[in-house]
Formats: sequence, C-alpha cells, structure tokens
Amino acid sequence: MQEQASWRTVAAATGPGDRARTEAGVRLAYRRAGLREPERIVWARSPLEAVRLLSGAAVNRDGAADSGPDGGGPDGGGPDDGGPDGGRWADPGAYGEALSATGASVRDAVRNRPVAAARAALHTRLGPTGWGDHWRATGADLWETTRPLIDRVRTGVVEALAPADRKEETGLRLLLLDAVLGQHDAAWLAALDAAPGLDGLAEVARTAGWWWPYENVAVVAERPVELHRDEAGRLDRGDGPALAHTDGFALHAWRGLPVPGEFLDRLGTLTPELIRAEENAELRRVMLEFYGYDRYLEESGAQPVHRDETGVLWRIALPGDEDVVMVEVVNSTPEPDGTSRTYWLRVPPTTTTARQGVAWTFGLGAEAYEPLRQT
Amino acid sequence: MYRQGDVLIAPLAESAVPGGALDAASEPRDGRGRLVLALGEVTGHAHAVVGPGRLIREASVFGPMLLHVPEGARVVHEEHAAISLPKGWYRVIRQREYVPGSVRIVAD
Repeated sequence: MQEQASWRTVAAATGPGDRARTEAGVRLAYRRAGLREPERIVWARSPLEAVRLLSGAAVNRDGAADSGPDGGGPDGGGPDDGGPDGGRWADPGAYGEALSATGASVRDAVRNRPVAAARAALHTRLGPTGWGDHWRATGADLWETTRPLIDRVRTGVVEALAPADRKEETGLRLLLLDAVLGQHDAAWLAALDAAPGLDGLAEVARTAGWWWPYENVAVVAERPVELHRDEAGRLDRGDGPALAHTDGFALHAWRGLPVPGEFLDRLGTLTPELIRAEENAELRRVMLEFYGYDRYLEESGAQPVHRDETGVLWRIALPGDEDVVMVEVVNSTPEPDGTSRTYWLRVPPTTTTARQGVAWTFGLGAEAYEPLRQT
Repeated sequence: MYRQGDVLIAPLAESAVPGGALDAASEPRDGRGRLVLALGEVTGHAHAVVGPGRLIREASVFGPMLLHVPEGARVVHEEHAAISLPKGWYRVIRQREYVPGSVRIVAD
C-alpha cells in the first residue's frame, strides 16, 4: 500500500520534473514498444501549448495553411514566429520549437498495447473477480479523482483555443486523445505496477505531465505549477486558478465546479444583494459558499425554522429559485482552542426538521438516525 | 450508531448482512495496518479502524461499505476523538450534501 501512496503523490505533483529522467523514460518507452527512439523531444509548458504546437504541425502536414487554429493565423512556421494573436500564448520562449514532419501518432504502440497486455496478464492470473478486487485496492480511488481532472484539462484546452467550428473542435479533441497522460496515468500504473514493459511510461509519469508520442517527435508538457484541491480531490480555490501552468493556461474552480476566472475576483466584494441578484444558480451557490452561509444567514435576517438536539434548520428564500435549506451542525470534537466548529450542510428543500436534515446527509430517515456517540 | 465527523457507522444485524459479503474480498489495509473508512485527499487524514476485522466495499468508491469487527475495534482520526466499536457488523456511510440537480459527498 505504500506504493499506492506514492502514485497518489505522482498524480498530484507540481513543478518542473527532471528533464533528463523524463527524456530517458520517453526513449525507453519507445524501445519497449519496439520502435526507434524519436529524433527529437520537444517541451511545452502546458497541454495547451503542446496542442497548439501539434495543431500547427497538423496544418503543415495537411498543407492547409489558411485554416490554422488561431483563426486568421497560418502559424505556418510554428509558434516561434509569434502568431497573429501576439498575446497570451504567443511567446513559447525556450519551449515549443517549430514542429514539422512529426510522423504518425505511436500512442497505441507506446501506451495502449503495453498497458492492455499488462492488464490482460494480470486479469488472466487473478481472474475477473480477483482483477476487480486488485483494481479497487490499487487504482480505483485515485482514478475516481483523476478522471474529472483529465476531462477538465481537455475541455479547458479546447475552450482556450476557441475552435471556429465543429470540425476544428473535433480535430483538437482528437489531438488531445493522442496524449499519453503522464502523471495522470498514475492510477493505472499503480494497478499494473510490477508489469514488465511499463517502466518507461512509469518514469515519464513520475517526472512530467501529458506527452504526445509521434514517429519522429515526442512532445512533452510540463506539470502544472499550481494545483489546489479540496479534501475530496476536487479542483478548488477561491483566490486564483486551481490549476495553472507557466504559459498562463489555467483552470478556475470552486469545490470542483468550473467558474470563470474573473468571477473569483468578484468574490471579495460580495454582498447579500449581489448574491440574490446573480441569475446563474450554480454561480450563486459558489457565491453563497464563499460568502459563508453563517454570515449570509445573519446579514439577510434569516430565521431558524427548526431546532432539536441534532442541530438547527435554516431556510433562505431565493427569488426565482428553490429555497436554500441548511442544517447547522456543531462538530462534536472541540478544536485545539476549546471551541467547537459549526458547519452548514445543504439539504433538500423538502426538509422540515433538523434531525431529518442531518439524517438525510447520511441517507437515512429521521427516525433511523440515532448516533450513540459522536466525535 | 456512531459518528466520527463525516462518517456514520451504523450497526447491522447479522441477519441483514448481504449474502455476498461473507465471500467478498476485503479491502486491503494501509501502510500502517489500518482499515481506511474514508481518506482525505489533500491532508491524508483518515477515518480508520485499528484492530482485527474486515472492510468490504459495496457499490461505489464512495461507499457505503460493510465493516466486520469480530472482536470490536477502535475508529481513529487525526482530528476527531477515537470511538470504540463493539464487536459485530456495521454499515459505513459517508456524509453527503444536497446540490440542486445532484448530490455530492462532504469533505471535512
């Protein structure tokens, strides 16, 4: 199980890794797949930058220089020439050399086949039930928190590149599917840890982010420099990007809910009126959570609806939306300073008593909820 | 019925234990030999059972889970007082929160 903890660390690692180790891992992965090593290994600062480089290369391959991903920009010589947007993504610096003649994707040979073979071997050895148990004991938990992050990154890359039409978007999504997930393959590597042939993949995972293996070139993205998650593993930050790379690629989220970056700037100046005026229910929920239900309840003059030994039930009417109904619960174990932490949990609007609300949070009816001891 | 933070541990009559549970594989113990009922992703703080017993995962990754402690056990956590459990079977339930249109687990 110690090994599982270390793969968990790999999945959440930030900052630059050891490039020499990464590149050795990439070359090893090619050799393990029976391929010749790539002629070049190109670094990108983020998956976004990697996709930009590769979509430029795709343009070169197709000779369709007038339909580059930057809209009006041919990006013909690769991103080093700045590109017409001249802005956020236009300065790769030491990263992102011009790409041409990448050759075909070899992801299948480098990643899919060795992983499938290792999985099949383990499946044969353990049997279907044994494999299920093994997966639950090794990768399942980690995959549960990593998969949403992978989806968010893919969506974030597509949104940042603002594809002009469906066809362009499909092209970007296909490019994203060419990626080997590096550190985000940790759950699978945890499950298939001892398998022969995965050592190259594992080495890259320990030191880098997503990477794109092609016949002639491998493009490797650095890990993020910022990654903030809550205790449930969801992206979560109230005062900046929850995930950020050095080229400016960033994702903003509050307890896993995607929010616009500029939205977070407004959170510092919230008032109950501004919260009530927000029309987007999800954003209003974020505002309420950020503002603090306790403060909101106090300042908006909300009255407790019900009180019993399990806690206090509150109700806030929101115009044009379902009521916010919350139970206020006191944490039974005092904090080190002797105070008891109070917290609020939102419960369904049909809730009428505090006991019913607390019981609901554990999937029980009011009559069934009877803790003998709480800490 | 016992509660430690966002985890509820509800006794289960032996007759109510699902049939497949006796044959189902146990969850592995962590590096410190504990049965982990719930793990905080960031702090690494865990609601964990110390002592002999088995933990059996039912449907989803976030539970519920079945716990069998034939000799009784202690539930420990870095920030909550320990709880002693009498011997027997339990269902372990993770606290959740209402979100319009969906439900999410609580991270304490």
